[in-house]
Amino acid sequence: MITTIGEIVRGDAAVFPPYLYEAYRSTVRRAPRLPLVEVPLTASELTRPRLDLSHVTAEDADLTRNAGTGGEALGQRILVTGRVMDEGGTPVPGALLEVWQANAAGRYIHKRDDWPGPLDPNFLGIGRCLTTDAGEYRFLTVRPGAYPWGNHENAWRPAHIHFSVLAPSWSRRLVTQMYFPDDPLLELDPIHHAVPDAARSRLVAAYAHDVTQPHWALGWRWDIVLAGPGATAFEAREQSAA
Amino acid sequence: MSPLPATPSQTVGPFFHDCLLRVDRCESTAGDEGGVQIHVEGCVLDGDGAGVPDAVIEVWHSASFARIGTDAEGGFSFSTTRPKRVELDRGTMQAPHLSIAVFARGLMNHLLTRIYFEDESSSESDPILRLVPEARRTTLIARRVADESLTPLYRFDIVLQGAGETVFFDFRSPAR
Repeated sequence: MITTIGEIVRGDAAVFPPYLYEAYRSTVRRAPRLPLVEVPLTASELTRPRLDLSHVTAEDADLTRNAGTGGEALGQRILVTGRVMDEGGTPVPGALLEVWQANAAGRYIHKRDDWPGPLDPNFLGIGRCLTTDAGEYRFLTVRPGAYPWGNHENAWRPAHIHFSVLAPSWSRRLVTQMYFPDDPLLELDPIHHAVPDAARSRLVAAYAHDVTQPHWALGWRWDIVLAGPGATAFEAREQSAA
Repeated sequence: MSPLPATPSQTVGPFFHDCLLRVDRCESTAGDEGGVQIHVEGCVLDGDGAGVPDAVIEVWHSASFARIGTDAEGGFSFSTTRPKRVELDRGTMQAPHLSIAVFARGLMNHLLTRIYFEDESSSESDPILRLVPEARRTTLIARRVADESLTPLYRFDIVLQGAGETVFFDFRSPAR
């Protein structure tokens, strides 16, 4: 993929995509052009936004039935599970995971998605859950379809699930997308390709037969590793300064 | 132990609204008890000066957290309590500020910035602001635009690119 690639990256440039990646056209007028200002993490970034989690229910993690219609979404039923960890492998419990995705036909329920793929009245395509003490999450959903977009001629996004991770440290905030292996569209997708080569495969889930449930659903495993220090780094620094 | 490879970021894309801005989204005003209310309004603008209609910003300070989507013209507004000073490290205080994350279609990683306040004298000596090139510091300072109302109103635009481009931060681990 030939494209102009900007030099401005937040975080490790071996991991995170540059803001300017011309082949993904929406970056061209939205990417900052001036260097980011490097500053030390402070208590403001290392502490956690306290959230009101009272609305989060177990049903929120079942996208096949959480449309409130009493019906079940159409498509290949899948279980998506994994662990949220820091770079040391320590689980991150209590992280809020929010997911959104197209339905099995590749259509979002969104006023701006108007391509002629069918809507599914029993599928909203949104879910959320909190990680367990072991940092684990689990969603039941249907495998999303690919969908067309206007970025270039005959452009199609590979099937993906959007993930938002709100961890107990502001500095570890992450929004990303999970993909499926052996998808021929991955090679053609500028959003996926904006990630440095060596890190790109980390966005691809692995088929997990041990997660697959007989006569019910196929299993996929995808772990999330959050970059940077958490709140404990701030506490340790405070103690060493004392 | 060798570190695990970190997970890269991707854009929120254009279809996040039903999920990230759901009515019963997880916000908090837990840190807002007893504080003085302030109101902030502004616009998210692209390199052509056009409003970004599909951005979402997250605002947080102390234990207060909110998510706000931009409207068709890129505008946003929110109310919160006036933030207090917080420690940088032992013995050094930061000026009151709001931490801001900006997400949008076309942003491959969220942008981080801060809102400081022009009528707050401690901003001049803020240790983070002093690391910002002087000519660009004004992009981080909200202007007081109305005094007559009981709730102070501030203006803060987020310019993603071009003239008056907002300062965005890359927060790095403190040196040992």
